[in-house]
Amino acid sequence: MDCDAIRDDMLDVLYGEGGEAAARRVETHQAACADCRRELADLRRLRGDLAHWRLPEGLGAPPAAAVRPRRLPVGLAAAAALVLGATAGLAFSGAEIRHDAAGFSVRVGRASETRALADLERRHREEVAALRAEIAAIRPTDDGRLLRTVADMIHQSETRQDEARLASLRVLRQRAETQRQYDLARMSAGLSYLDGKAGLQAARTTELVGHILQASQQK
Amino acid sequence: MTPTDEDLVVAFQSGDIPAFDQLVRRWDRKIQGVIYRIVGNHDEARDLSQEAFLKAYRALGTFKQEARFSSWLYQIAINATRDRLRRRRRRTDLSLDDVEERADNALRDAGPSALDLIESHDLSRVVAAAMAALPEEQREVVILKEYEGLTFPEIAETLDVPLSTVKTRLYRGLGQLRVRLERQGIHGGAAVPVPSA
Repeated sequence: MDCDAIRDDMLDVLYGEGGEAAARRVETHQAACADCRRELADLRRLRGDLAHWRLPEGLGAPPAAAVRPRRLPVGLAAAAALVLGATAGLAFSGAEIRHDAAGFSVRVGRASETRALADLERRHREEVAALRAEIAAIRPTDDGRLLRTVADMIHQSETRQDEARLASLRVLRQRAETQRQYDLARMSAGLSYLDGKAGLQAARTTELVGHILQASQQK
Repeated sequence: MTPTDEDLVVAFQSGDIPAFDQLVRRWDRKIQGVIYRIVGNHDEARDLSQEAFLKAYRALGTFKQEARFSSWLYQIAINATRDRLRRRRRRTDLSLDDVEERADNALRDAGPSALDLIESHDLSRVVAAAMAALPEEQREVVILKEYEGLTFPEIAETLDVPLSTVKTRLYRGLGQLRVRLERQGIHGGAAVPVPSA
């Protein structure tokens, strides 16, 4: 058997696959082939070198910022979720799967807005964290103050949403106006062109009629 | 008893969504590891790993267990990585020579010389640079075999190529790695004196 033909068996032996039959074939071939004997030994040493390639520490671990949040009472958690959900709804798009210490989550939408959404989400996470800290500082018995805080949170969230919506509307209105002016300019240019063509035609007709009249008078 | 991947897939397909969470926890590090070894960047590996799991999540409902879940997941991760590398290549328009030169530069820029690294028992960066210079197809096979411990049939299934192709790529890849490491003065885990030019 030539060296090329034994190559696959040699790889099987190198990685402990292939069973006894492959091992016997390699052994028989190597008994008569010093090159292949040397090659298998080299490949075994190479595998020893390759084993030194380590993965960086922390690979596969969740990002440092993503830690499991302290569990809040159901009412407060719901309020915080309301704030987060309401503001995130403004531009909810982009698709992402997230797996961190808090578990697995999926987000669906257009990819082009992923970065903006990530910024938005980061801001909201910071806001929610600040709000949680504020809520945690309130004494559990102070229900009135707690409710006022939650109401204030919701009000702030709604105000932010309104401002963002108004800004979007302004941009849309500006775009529509620009498009309208552009269309008007094109229509005007088209009409001028038609006017010019019609005027030229009329002049030619007049000239022709003049020639005809002149010719008939000469007759 | 710990559920197998296949058990968790069946559970997910029956509506137990948290079963996917377990699959992610089980495979996240390995998938990130494979991608890291291919792309050589920690953040990109994390990003691509998320992308791969998102694709897996979307497709798992219709996954038929004709293939192993692990092979299927590796396949998704490698395809996502290939797409990313293709886009990156299109942006930078690098030739194979450029890639090799870049790998050599990375090795030179890595700080200590190869011999220093060996003396300090740190071959990791030398091996990483040699691996980065391999053609992508060979690199994938070497990584799946050498670092993930997949069998030849599993690699063939993952990459959707014949068994003979897997072995050919592996053989060529190992050959190139051997040459590159020897060029750096590494031979069988020990430094070989490099003749002065």
